[in-house]
Amino acid sequence: MNYERPELLDRLAAEYALGTLRGRARRRFERLCVASAAVRSAVYRWEDHWSAMSRTLPQVQPSAQVWPAVSRRLFGDAGAAPPRASRWRTWQFALAATLVALAIIAGLIVRQQAPPALQTLAVLGTDSAHPVWRLERRLPLAALTIEVIGPVPEAAGKSYELWALPRGGTPVSLGLLPAAGSAERTLSERQRRALLAADKVAVSVEPAGGSPTGSPTGPIVIVTGVPAPG
Amino acid sequence: MTPNEPDGAELEALLSRCAAGDRSALETLYARVAPILLAVLLRMLRRRDAAEDALQDVFVSVWQRARQFDPIRGRALAWLVSMARYRAIDLQRAARPALALSEVSALEPQLQSEDPAEASEMLGSGALLLRCLEQIAAPQRRCLMLAYQDGLTHSEIARAVNEPLGTVKSWVRRSLIALRRCLES
Repeated sequence: MNYERPELLDRLAAEYALGTLRGRARRRFERLCVASAAVRSAVYRWEDHWSAMSRTLPQVQPSAQVWPAVSRRLFGDAGAAPPRASRWRTWQFALAATLVALAIIAGLIVRQQAPPALQTLAVLGTDSAHPVWRLERRLPLAALTIEVIGPVPEAAGKSYELWALPRGGTPVSLGLLPAAGSAERTLSERQRRALLAADKVAVSVEPAGGSPTGSPTGPIVIVTGVPAPG
Repeated sequence: MTPNEPDGAELEALLSRCAAGDRSALETLYARVAPILLAVLLRMLRRRDAAEDALQDVFVSVWQRARQFDPIRGRALAWLVSMARYRAIDLQRAARPALALSEVSALEPQLQSEDPAEASEMLGSGALLLRCLEQIAAPQRRCLMLAYQDGLTHSEIARAVNEPLGTVKSWVRRSLIALRRCLES
């Protein structure tokens, strides 16, 4: 499909935000969003427009247990009640595990009281419920620790490569993401500077062994913000 | 503005406090918008337990992604509603049972009662889209509402309105062109 035509892009953005763009076309369009600010702003415009329709729905009060569950998932509150057993959820997880598709969604966790030398930089995952890798950095950013914390989606004959996206600069490879266990990555001066200047990191799918060109060549499957150093 | 319409500037301020790690801001944000987002999720997922589980997911994501919200890109409420809708679409893909015809007809009375003109008055001058929707013929408008509010796919809409898939697709496409024109004028 020719994505260069502005009226086509606008229609795809409208259908993405409306929800009628589905399946592979939806995933493809999400990757396009990651790559193009113009596409993102078309989507934002339509999200704004369409949202008027949501606001005509009568509001529904959530049950009392929803907020404590959110709080427990995020902050691990000790005082909160134990999780509600939901057969629906178990079933949904089982399905999600088999149908797992990489989305652009990625979580970001800044450890609240991390010791000064070690800070969680980002949690990369297919979505917030399926974390795959945790990145930790040691200040003054001489090294990066990458730990596999969830199942790595199968990508036969491919590697996942991590990139620092410096503001206004070109992506700099931070190396391949491990498929299991954890890896301690000593950063070169170039990588260190790129990561210090980065407001985002990304993961792309590359030929086994990594990008042959030094820039991302495969689809970018995860993009997430990273906190400023300090 | 509806009586319970949250104030956009307040939502933006709450999101920026979330981005800075202020937990109490997330709780306030939840109090302001959870009932709006649950209405959206319940309509799309049709099951209370699934909708409330999705609501949890949305607030976990809001906390984790608050830094990514950029006020110049759009309104905070639209951002939050979109997070909820996209979460529901992802869940539907995996888990929503196929739509039975009896369920579709059960949805109809609700749709007919939603008069865009009335809603537009309620929402004030901001709701340009609703005024533009009024200019679209009722059957086409219904397709857009089934897509947006109920989260139906093209084929599900075709079954719901009893029209061929091709007709529905071209109605949606032409409605979008008409809306674009109206929104720009």
